[in-house]
Amino acid sequence: MNAVLFLLRVALGALLIVAGLLKLRDPTAFATEIANYQLLPTGAAMLAAVLPAIEVVIGLSLIALSRAWRRGAAAAALALFVTFTGAVASAYFRRINIDCGCFGTGGGPISALTLARNLTLTAGCLILLRFDRAPAPGARLSG
Amino acid sequence: MLSVVTRALCLVGGGALLGLLVNGTRPNGVRFASFAPPSVCTMTPAGGEHGPGPAPVESLEPRDAAGLCGDPSTLIADVRPATEFAQGHVTGAIHLPCTASGQAASAAVDLVAGRQTLIVYGAGTDDARRVADELRQRVHRRDLRIVVVSGGFGAWNQAGLACSSGPCVHCAAAPAAGGR
Repeated sequence: MNAVLFLLRVALGALLIVAGLLKLRDPTAFATEIANYQLLPTGAAMLAAVLPAIEVVIGLSLIALSRAWRRGAAAAALALFVTFTGAVASAYFRRINIDCGCFGTGGGPISALTLARNLTLTAGCLILLRFDRAPAPGARLSG
Repeated sequence: MLSVVTRALCLVGGGALLGLLVNGTRPNGVRFASFAPPSVCTMTPAGGEHGPGPAPVESLEPRDAAGLCGDPSTLIADVRPATEFAQGHVTGAIHLPCTASGQAASAAVDLVAGRQTLIVYGAGTDDARRVADELRQRVHRRDLRIVVVSGGFGAWNQAGLACSSGPCVHCAAAPAAGGR
């Protein structure tokens, strides 16, 4: 189980780091991608400035920090992915034909696959949050 | 002992501060004051993943396009700048210039619901085609005919066609006949 959790958090962390770094390449283009969702037209520039760095920080925390901070990072990643999933679902069901912006300008158009991917990542965060915790006091003795 | 939520907020807050710092120091950082949301003609076109590929945008001579004028199943969009639109436009046309916001484009998409034909015209052919192509990408209906008027409003007006500007008595008199 520990190996699975390790792989999961490294994979999620690496994905967040890569996604954040790709968005950092062209923040103005990323702001346009956010504005295309037509959810926060006035906050697109601010989000484009802070979101990539937040993703990188959370990704690094998932991989490199202590368990207590990793759980905090998993909770933050969960909040991020829930937000992303809501935005993607909103665009998909409004039938707005836009790029997802998930990896900067190279995320591809929004589709059911994008929605499924976001739901999978959200589930991954939930698993980390649920199972990546300190063992119960008596667990080591009985194990 | 910090709770999970507190740690999460610390990470998000720290990341946000770092992002603002990095953005402020980068020469190509996004500028909050000057950033403009995408307009009709700058929205990112994406592939049609919600169904079969879109039908192509047609070009019609003004006389042929005017034959559709006054039909209640037809929507007309004028893509010229506001000053030119104010000076005269096809009766009943909505104003949808390239510089209109993404919200305006979405509103136009909503207006198209229930219509069979969308006529787009501009000062010439190219400006209308840009908007028509964008709308083609956003409206996922193969049964919607999108038509660009060749030569634009000038050609339409020169041809002395019905509905060219102002009140359209012909459209009111004979809508079923296409307003001519």
